[in-house]
Amino acid sequence: MQPAPILDREFLEKLERLTLQWQKSFAGLVGGHNQSRFAGAGQEFLDHRNFHHGDDLRAVNWRAYLRLEKLFLKMFQVEPRVPVRMLLDLSDSMNGGAWQKFHYARRLAGALCYVGMVRLDSIEIHGFSNRLGRRFLCTGGRHRFGPVLDCLGSMEPGGQTDFLAVMREFISSYSQAGLTIVISDFLDDQGCQRALQYLADFGHELVLLQIWSEADRVPPWDGELELEDAETGSQMKVQFDDSARVRYTRAFDEYADSLERLALRAGGRYVGVSTAQAVQDVLFGPLVRARGVA
Amino acid sequence: MHLLNLTLGQFLALFGSMSALMLALYLLDRSRRRQVVSTLRFWISAEQPTVVARRRRIQQPLSLLLQLVSMALLLLAIAQLRLGVPASAPRDHVLILDTSAWMSARAAPPHGRVPARTLMDLARERARAYARAVPRRDRIMLVRADALTTPATAFEPDRQRLMEAIDASEPGATALNLEQALSFARQIQAQSGRRPGEVVFVGTGKLADHEPGKLGLRNLRFLSVPDAIENCGLRSIGVRRSGADSGVWEIYVSVRNYGVAPRTATLALSFGPSPDGPGKSPVGTQRLVLPPGAEREASFAFRTRAAGFLQAQLFPRDAFSADDRAVLQLPPQTLLRVIVYSAQPDLLRPVLAASPQVAATFRPPSQYSADSAGALVILDRFHPPAPPLGDSIWIDPPAAGSPVPVRARVTDVPFVRWLADHPLGAGLRTKDFRLESTSVFEAAPDDLKIGEVESGPVIVARPGKPKLVVLGFHPALSAMRYELSTPLLFANLLRWIAPGIFRRWELNTASVGTVRAPLDNDVRSAGLRVIREDGAGVPFTLRGRALEFFTGTPGTVRVLAEDREYVYSLTLPQLWESKWDVPTDVRRGMPKFPAPLREATDLWQWLAVAGGAGLLAEWLLFGRLRRGRARVSRRPMAMRKAS
Repeated sequence: MQPAPILDREFLEKLERLTLQWQKSFAGLVGGHNQSRFAGAGQEFLDHRNFHHGDDLRAVNWRAYLRLEKLFLKMFQVEPRVPVRMLLDLSDSMNGGAWQKFHYARRLAGALCYVGMVRLDSIEIHGFSNRLGRRFLCTGGRHRFGPVLDCLGSMEPGGQTDFLAVMREFISSYSQAGLTIVISDFLDDQGCQRALQYLADFGHELVLLQIWSEADRVPPWDGELELEDAETGSQMKVQFDDSARVRYTRAFDEYADSLERLALRAGGRYVGVSTAQAVQDVLFGPLVRARGVA
Repeated sequence: MHLLNLTLGQFLALFGSMSALMLALYLLDRSRRRQVVSTLRFWISAEQPTVVARRRRIQQPLSLLLQLVSMALLLLAIAQLRLGVPASAPRDHVLILDTSAWMSARAAPPHGRVPARTLMDLARERARAYARAVPRRDRIMLVRADALTTPATAFEPDRQRLMEAIDASEPGATALNLEQALSFARQIQAQSGRRPGEVVFVGTGKLADHEPGKLGLRNLRFLSVPDAIENCGLRSIGVRRSGADSGVWEIYVSVRNYGVAPRTATLALSFGPSPDGPGKSPVGTQRLVLPPGAEREASFAFRTRAAGFLQAQLFPRDAFSADDRAVLQLPPQTLLRVIVYSAQPDLLRPVLAASPQVAATFRPPSQYSADSAGALVILDRFHPPAPPLGDSIWIDPPAAGSPVPVRARVTDVPFVRWLADHPLGAGLRTKDFRLESTSVFEAAPDDLKIGEVESGPVIVARPGKPKLVVLGFHPALSAMRYELSTPLLFANLLRWIAPGIFRRWELNTASVGTVRAPLDNDVRSAGLRVIREDGAGVPFTLRGRALEFFTGTPGTVRVLAEDREYVYSLTLPQLWESKWDVPTDVRRGMPKFPAPLREATDLWQWLAVAGGAGLLAEWLLFGRLRRGRARVSRRPMAMRKAS
C-alpha cells in the first residue's frame, strides 16, 4: 500500500502564486527573482546617475548625451540568487503525539520548498537533531519537486536536539550567508537562543517556524503525573491542576516570545504554528503576514 | 438464584478481598499517570509539591468501577451463579426409625373392628409421610435404631423400595441408643459426598441409658410419636438354690412402674412341666403397690427338685404386654448315689451325710456287686472279686487286690504334702500329723498324687473312665480323723468324680441388650466361658468382679465358671430408662420442602464472557495500551537507529 503523499497536487497548485521573501541583501549574489537594493547588471532599469571615471561605457545613455551633451549612466536592478537553506528538526521531541509535529513540519517544509522551486530558487534541506543531517539540494523548478517529496518522506525523527552544535556545523559548512528557515519546536534543554543568535550574527536571515502541538502548549492532563522527557528520558513527578496549567502555558508563551524577539532583533521573522492549524492556513495567513512569503 | 460453588459469605469475602487489593493497586499505580512529553523545561515552572493525601483520590473512577464490575462477574462465574432455588439440588437424607422394644406398645386399644395400633404403626406412618414430603430428586437412607443401629437401605432414590423397607421395620427387643444412631447418620452423610440433607428421627425419644451428647447436627429433625402409655412390667427374675436347703429355690422378681400414675399389680408365679401347657402349680402370688417410676422386688421360696418352667405374670395386663410375663426353665436337682461296702459303716457315715447332694447306701462287703448302676462305690479295706464297673474309691485296699500297685507298707511316718495346685487338693493344708500305718503306691505317670509321705504317694487319683481313687490308709482310723482335711478331702473327691452333681446354679431372667453379671469372689477368670443355647461363644468383658456381654436377640446365655453356672434367660424386652430432652435447635414436625420453580439455569458462561469483555474494554479505554501508544510511536525509530 502506497503511503499518502505529503502534499497533494491541488494544494501545490495553490502555492504557485507565492514567493519566498527575504529582507536582507546579500553581497556578491546575482540572479534570482528578488530585487536587490544594490544596482548592478540586471535586466530591469533602475535609475540614472552621473558618469564617473571608470564606469562601464556600455551603460552610458547615449540618447541623453546627444540631447543634453552630458554623460549619464543607466543603472539596472540586480536580481541576486540568494541561497535558501531549510533546517528541519528531526529530534525526538518532534515525535510527540504519534509523529503529529513531525508530519506537520514535513508538510510545511515541502510546501516552502515548492514555493521556492516555482521561483527557481535553490533550496538546501537539512534534517538535524544533535548534528546536522545530510544535505539535499532542491533546484531546477517545479518539475524537480518529486525527489524533494521522496527526501522528506524518507526522513524520520530521532535523537536529542543540540542547537549549538548544529549551528556551529552549519556556519562552518556555509560561509555564504543566506535565508535560513528553521522548522522546529525549539525545545532544547540547553536553550536555542544562543545558537540562533550565533547564526544571525554570521549574516544569515532567520525565518523561525515554531511547531507545537496543543498538548505542548496546554497539557490536557490532571492529577499526579509521572513525566518522561521524550528526548533525554529523564523523569519528573508533578501534581498538575488548572493553576499549574496556567503557569505552564505562560512559561511556554514566554519562551515563544523570546524566540520571536530574537528573530525580529536579528532582522528575521518568527511564526508560531500549532498543529491544529491547517498548513494551507498557515502559509496564506501568519506566514504571509510575517512576510515570510508573499 | 443461588451460588453452586460458594456460599454467599464466601463470595462476599472473596469479592471484598479482591476489591480491596484492586483498589490498593489502583491507588498505587493508576493514581499517577505516566506521560511522555516533548520537554520538561516548562513543567519545572508549573511544578508544585506532591501531596501524598491526594493519592487517595481515584483519578479514573470509571476505570475502577469497570474493573470491579468485571471482577465481580468473573467471580460470580467461578461461583456458578444459577437461576433457580438451591433446594432443587439433590440432597441425601437419613431417616432414623425407632425400632426399640417400646415401639410394640399399643397406642390405642382396639375399637370395634379397628385393630389395636402400636407405636410402631404410628412411626411407620410418620416415616412414610416424610418420605412423601421429600422432593423426588433427594435420596433417603432408612436406618433402624434400637440398641444397635442398622441401615435398612442405602441412600435410596426409589420411594417404593423405601416404603417397603419402612413397612418391613418391626420393633426389636432392645431399647433405643439414639447417640449411636445420630453419630452414624452424621458419618454416613459426610461420606456420601453429596449435599447433606436432614437427619430425621421418628420415634418416641425413650432412651436406653443417657442423653445423646452434642453431635453438632444442625440438620436434625424430630418427628415425635406420642406415647402417653401406662406400663408396668417385669424387670428381672433371679432364681438360685437356697444355701440352707438345697431343695428350695429362692426366687426374686423385680417389677417397675414406667407410667406416671401409681399402679397396683398382682404378681403371680407358677411352675409346670411346660411353659404354656397344663399341669401348672402355683408358686405364689403377691400384690404390689408401685408408685410412678418406682421399682419393687418380691421374693418367693419354692421347693422342688424336679425340672420345669417357672412362669411369672403381672396382672392386670397393660398396653405393653411383652414385659408382663416371663418364663424361666429350672434344672432338676440330682443326687449322687454312693454305695459303701464297709464292715464299719459308722466310720464314713458322718463324712457322706454332710452333703445334701449325696445319697449314701451302706452295705456289708458280702453284698458286693460289680455293677453299681451308675453309683459311686466306696470299698472300705475290702478286696472285691471283680472291680467295680463305675467310679470307685478304695480305702486302704489289701496289697494283693489294690488297683494301684502297692510299693511298700510303712508305719509311723509323717504326712509330707498335698497336691495343692489341683481341685482335688483345694483347701487341704494339714501336714502336722503322722500316719501309724499306710500303703505307699506305685503311681502311674498320669496318676494324680493327692497326698504323699516321704517314701511316696499314699493317696492316688486316676482320671479316665471310670475314675478311681485309692487311699493307703483309712482317714477315720488315722490321726487325720481329727483334722478338717478329712471332710474336705471327701468333698473334693466327690466333686471331682461327679462335678455335675455339685454344680451351683443361678438363673436369671433379664432383658436383652447389655447384661452385667456379678461373679462370686472365688471365681477365677481363667475358666470363664459365655455360650448361647447353640453352644456358640458370646464375646464378653470383665470389669472387676462383673462380667458384661451383649446380645441383641432374645434367648438363653450361659456363663460357665468352674463349678458354677449362671443362666441368663433373656426373654424380657429392654425398656427405656430416660426420655430424650429434645434440644431447642432441633426442628420438629413435618417439613415443607420448597418445590423447585424451574430447573436451575447455568449463567457462568455468560458471566465469564461479560467479565472478560469488561476487562478488555477497560484495558482499551484506560489501560496501558492507551498509555503505551506514545511509546509505540517511538519504537520503530529506535529500532531503525539501532540497525
